[in-house]
Amino acid sequence: MKEEKGHQVDRRKFLVGMGIAGAAATATLASPVLAAAGDRCETKWDQEHEVVIIGSGFAGLAAAIQAKRLGAKDVVIFEKMAVFGGNSAFNGGMFAVPESPLQKKEGIKDSPEAMAADQAKAGRGIANKEQLLHVAKRAKEALQMTLDAGSEYFPYLQQLGGHSVPRTYQTTNAVGAGITQPLLNECKKLGVRLVNRAMFNSLIFDDKGKVVGAKIREGYYFGRGKEGSPINVRSQRGVLVATGGFARNVGLRSAQDPTLTAEVGSTNPPNATGEGLLELFHVGAVPVHMAHIQTGPWASADEDGFGYVSNYSIYNFAHSISVYPKTGRRFMNEIADRKTRSDAQLQCRDDTGNPLPPVTITSYEHAKEHPTMKKVLKYGVGWKFDSVEELAKHHNIPLKALKEQIEEYNGYVKKGVDEQFGKPMAKAKGKYLKAPFVTVRNWPKVHYCQGGALTDVNARVIDSTTWKPIPGLYAAGEVAGGMHGVSRLGSCSIPDCMVMGMTAAETMMKS
Amino acid sequence: MMPYKKLMFAVLLVFIACTVQAEETLKQYDGIKGRSYHSDFYDGQSCDSCHDSKKPLNLPADDACLACHDLDDLIKSTSRAGDEKWQNPHNNIHYGKDVPCMECHGEHESRKPLCQGCHTFKYEKFNQ
Repeated sequence: MKEEKGHQVDRRKFLVGMGIAGAAATATLASPVLAAAGDRCETKWDQEHEVVIIGSGFAGLAAAIQAKRLGAKDVVIFEKMAVFGGNSAFNGGMFAVPESPLQKKEGIKDSPEAMAADQAKAGRGIANKEQLLHVAKRAKEALQMTLDAGSEYFPYLQQLGGHSVPRTYQTTNAVGAGITQPLLNECKKLGVRLVNRAMFNSLIFDDKGKVVGAKIREGYYFGRGKEGSPINVRSQRGVLVATGGFARNVGLRSAQDPTLTAEVGSTNPPNATGEGLLELFHVGAVPVHMAHIQTGPWASADEDGFGYVSNYSIYNFAHSISVYPKTGRRFMNEIADRKTRSDAQLQCRDDTGNPLPPVTITSYEHAKEHPTMKKVLKYGVGWKFDSVEELAKHHNIPLKALKEQIEEYNGYVKKGVDEQFGKPMAKAKGKYLKAPFVTVRNWPKVHYCQGGALTDVNARVIDSTTWKPIPGLYAAGEVAGGMHGVSRLGSCSIPDCMVMGMTAAETMMKS
Repeated sequence: MMPYKKLMFAVLLVFIACTVQAEETLKQYDGIKGRSYHSDFYDGQSCDSCHDSKKPLNLPADDACLACHDLDDLIKSTSRAGDEKWQNPHNNIHYGKDVPCMECHGEHESRKPLCQGCHTFKYEKFNQ
């Protein structure tokens, strides 16, 4: 029974034990901890719900729907922002699913094991294979949840970097909101209570060390200095933390990886700051893979945030070439996994060491197949050229070398084998590079945090002192860490968030 | 060079138009700034038109503006055509019709549209 003691009491002892030498350093930490420990004994509850979910991205929404389907009477989602959807409403809406209806239609052989193996490879030996397989096996079910809610997808599959076969769906509006909006509507239909401007402050434990609620600050206005008033929310079935990553917390991310300073952009909205994750660590969760922070190699040097170029490049890389402007030569497999590509791009520098963003070249006739091309051209973050001469002149690329590179690459298209960088050429079949061309300039941006709090395959948060699940505490989505390892493959976060959200709800409903 | 000059001139005009509009609607009233089109509120100090009368220092409820303004009318007045359809701030691609008015509109201070955190497209009728 001893190990089940309250985490905050343990922490308090630890802080006291540090003595005078540590007192100054821990002063700021100690006061909220003591206050929270006090709450625990004599908590005055302002609200009570059956299931409490923090965060309204893919994981939180999928969990709410699944909990309702399993019979929960009273489910609430607290969202710190004015709007719902978090970073999930911002991304490209790409969803990897093995053995999907579209694969069946296109005659593509695939399996959950094959998808998990692709992911484990990009994870470079430190991914959580059990969780990867769990997600891959249930991805089809998660896709169905979005279809039932009204999500619409392009009628074709894409093959993204690091995937051995085409298995990626994309919403027809090419944004994750094509999933979060239908899921939100479904939540409303099912009677899920949705509360915006509600900042998660801390977890509340009972005497036995079980999470029984959360302190929430109602009336929180992000970025306006209105911190809100605290209320104590009791939860009968524990608390699911689905608060996302910390790509926009420059202090936290650069503490893990000093290269990710304020000068490096991010594809995430400004609220991706990770307070939920920090609270999990505060109560004793195990930090895993915190330094593995992914940058997106398809982002653009010429626009802010995720923008238009990200989706454009993700779609087009398979049948495009990226060249280093100084040499006019390719420098990477354009559909290698994200880390391989970002690392290669960051090597593209001018003579003084400043970034010289590589130029990605696509035939207009292929680029125009995806609706983002119009946007890229319209908003001046991409360019169209009628000849290779014009292209080379605009981007200041040596013409002769570029012409040779294009000719050489077209040879690989013909052969179906990329002798230069080993790019899988299946999706480039018959897609020769020829004028007119469309170009963009890629430069990586912080996109995703593989690290987070350790969870088991049932979405329970693991305690760093007992190595057992912390009773009543669950985490799903980007806030959980360790599933993907060194590099997460594209379109694998949506199945992760959706399936682990569903899983968390199932575990909570069994509790 | 001519098309470029024309473009820059157009950009300048739009910029001037926006600046002038912004200065036109945010006025100093007795002790507080407010929008000229809401001048009635300030004549009678009727803070409770928007704010909870018990807590006037709190921001109004997210749906306070909708007591007078009709959401469907707003959607119509800012509708966009073709591939810009989902750039309608009152019914947009990321959040549908659910963005609280105060995320973009400031009654007592100037604000910029939420979309411009990432995007470069313009809302020319917007009063900053």
